[in-house]
Amino acid sequence: MLTLRYKADTTVPVEVEGLTPSAVRGLSIAEIQRFDLFHGNRKVPLAEFFEISGDPADARMEFEGDLAGVHWIGAQMSEGEIHVRGNAGRHVGSEMTGGVIHVHGNASDWVGGEMHGGLIHVHGNAGHLVGSAYRGSAKGMTAGVILIDGSAGNEVGLTMRRGLLAVGGECGDFVGANLIAGTVLVFGPCGNRPAAAMRRGTVGLFGANPPSLLVSFRKSCVCQPTFLRLILRHLESLGFAVPSECHNANYGIYHGDHVAVGRGEILIREN
Amino acid sequence: MSSGYFKIAGGTVYDPIHGVDGDVRDIWIRDGQIVETPSDFDIRPDKTLDASGLVVMPGGVDMHCHIAGPKVNAARKMRPEQKRKAEKVVRTSNTRSGTMGSVPSTFATGYKYAGLGYTTAFDAAIPPLAARHVHEEFEDTPCLDKGFFVLMGNNHFVMESIHRKEPEKLRSFIAWLLGAAKGFTPKVVNPGGVEIWKQLPSGNVHGLDENVAHFDVTPRQIIEQIARAVDALKLPHSVHLHANNLGMPGNWITTLETMKTFGDSRGHLAHIQFHSYGGGEGDENTFNSKVVELVEYVNAHHNLTVDVGQVLFGETTTMTADGPLGYYLSNAFKSKWFSSDTEMESGCGIAPIEYRNTSLVHSLQWAIGLEWYLLAKDPWRVVMSTDHPNGGSFLAYPQIIQLLMDRTYRQDMLKQVHPAVLERSTLADLTREYSLNEICIITRSGPAKILGLTRKGHLGPGADADITIYTPNDDKTKMFELPRAVIKSGVVIVEHGEVREPLTGKLLYVAPEYDTSIESDIAEWFEKYYSIRFRNYPVPLDYLHDREEVACAGL
Repeated sequence: MLTLRYKADTTVPVEVEGLTPSAVRGLSIAEIQRFDLFHGNRKVPLAEFFEISGDPADARMEFEGDLAGVHWIGAQMSEGEIHVRGNAGRHVGSEMTGGVIHVHGNASDWVGGEMHGGLIHVHGNAGHLVGSAYRGSAKGMTAGVILIDGSAGNEVGLTMRRGLLAVGGECGDFVGANLIAGTVLVFGPCGNRPAAAMRRGTVGLFGANPPSLLVSFRKSCVCQPTFLRLILRHLESLGFAVPSECHNANYGIYHGDHVAVGRGEILIREN
Repeated sequence: MSSGYFKIAGGTVYDPIHGVDGDVRDIWIRDGQIVETPSDFDIRPDKTLDASGLVVMPGGVDMHCHIAGPKVNAARKMRPEQKRKAEKVVRTSNTRSGTMGSVPSTFATGYKYAGLGYTTAFDAAIPPLAARHVHEEFEDTPCLDKGFFVLMGNNHFVMESIHRKEPEKLRSFIAWLLGAAKGFTPKVVNPGGVEIWKQLPSGNVHGLDENVAHFDVTPRQIIEQIARAVDALKLPHSVHLHANNLGMPGNWITTLETMKTFGDSRGHLAHIQFHSYGGGEGDENTFNSKVVELVEYVNAHHNLTVDVGQVLFGETTTMTADGPLGYYLSNAFKSKWFSSDTEMESGCGIAPIEYRNTSLVHSLQWAIGLEWYLLAKDPWRVVMSTDHPNGGSFLAYPQIIQLLMDRTYRQDMLKQVHPAVLERSTLADLTREYSLNEICIITRSGPAKILGLTRKGHLGPGADADITIYTPNDDKTKMFELPRAVIKSGVVIVEHGEVREPLTGKLLYVAPEYDTSIESDIAEWFEKYYSIRFRNYPVPLDYLHDREEVACAGL
């Protein structure tokens, strides 16, 4: 395991794009120390910001310290495992295609932005735009799993194409907005206009006092969907805490958004 | 002692304006211009560039592209997803950083044009209201001499003057507007059609004799009258026309009528490829090439010139002052859409699109462009363009050159497109191959001549020392995409693809004379309808960076 202890104290963003388990795997400690990071618009060697120890050969990396100002951790990673023991900055696991990231603290915006595979588990809170499409893109997350134990901000799962996204705490406005397909489940309260302009896919709002839905959604029935039980069990197997009342609850199913394709569904827990 | 001379020695020179076709000679440069070889044998140049075995041509001239102005900036903002993944233009000690994608940023545009050996480029569609900003943007687009065409085909004052049958007033207004914007020639885009689009939902005109409501004029009158005014003002370039019905099946009839409308006046038909389609409206099964019919007319009428607007396969961003066209494209491609209304002057539509070689329509567009190059008898009147970025990027010029110079390559490419192209165009039967001399004509000498730039496009004494030196290669794409050296105003600005000295370049503009008594009329109209004050509208000379007035000497 390669341990990177963050020792810097700077308000200028530090970007670690490209520092993935597979990129450092074959490198010596000295080579990793020379790895180019960006400090604002300046290129600096990694050793200026991190003390490193251990061995990268097993494709496991562990970041220590408060990395709230360190961005793109695990971006584009394809294999291996990253643990962040503390907070992480923006774009954690952005465009990743495989492997596992655990953030044992809070993460900022764009967790798993346009992710294509793998697993991200944030054990604290996350910022806005989890699993979303970057500005201008036609598609957000296309595969993989994102788990947020705490709360998340606005536009979670924006324009998501496929994959599973679960938030244990509360969520801001526009959850699953413009969803193309895929599943977004929120276990806490959520803000306004969930699933606005969704085309297909599933948005689950399981917290107390769900917001009123847009008028372009129509209620179809109340049921106990079998697929939901499977998904909830799957979430538990990944170490995500599912409230016990969700397992046998009744769910109201609402179809929409009829201003878009209208083949999506919102699930609202009724008891 | 310094002699001030720079010599390019022993190159194989192509200078079609002077009938030089691959002869080995020296070129002497002094004070940024090409000069006579000094008669005094004792004079030694300060610097010599050994060009033996290399091909020497004037710097490239792109007479129809979109590289500045509000539409380009809207398109830049509209494509972050493309820019994010595109090649990065990294800052160096003497160049600025930039972004690429189908609409490169300002500095990147200049560097990349120069990297291909182009030293002059004209933006084809600027609303004069935005002229001030365009001049600022041009100052940030290095390595090129630049100019722009001023949108007028749907200008309210123009249409009113035509309606009232006041040709003198129209002429004075055009001259005033060109001078106010510091532009180069009137650009007419879908005359009348853009105005109707601004008046009605999904409005447009579909023929030359349709009435433009409120103004009570027809597209034919607009074209005719502006073309006459341009000739009367003796502007160096003719009216630059984006004809009606662009991109529509069966539009060749409108195009042919438009050509006839010019009568004896000079006229340039832009991106003619997009106007050469047969077939019924909305019926893909009948869509076909009508180049043979149109090229015959152009071959026989020396007052007409065209640039091609070649389509290349891949993703790009269309941008046009033709507002209804932008709407049509965004619906056809289900893509993002930008539309704007430029007050009394123009409209604008932008939509990202992708040309696919599996599509019959796109494949035919590709073939029709090539037919234009290969069927036109006089290379001096057909100019290479992709209508950057509408048909494709200017970065594709080397590929087009190979398509024209290498029949085998062309036939191989033809096998990769939709098979119905074989029946619906004549491309498969065309065996013509362009020579280097002809390439030199359609990429520099021809456009310079058509634009009336007497100091561009040739290598005779008095010409600006804008010169491109290529390493000969049977692979023409390779040869033309990486010149050995590019010289601008006598300075080596690019060597082996690396920018050495990014000169700013100058603005080329016209200042035609006119009857100034018209200004009070314009002012009154202006204060009534415009969002800015009359006195703030014209761009003053001291607002420009390096500049050169091109004389109004006519034909």
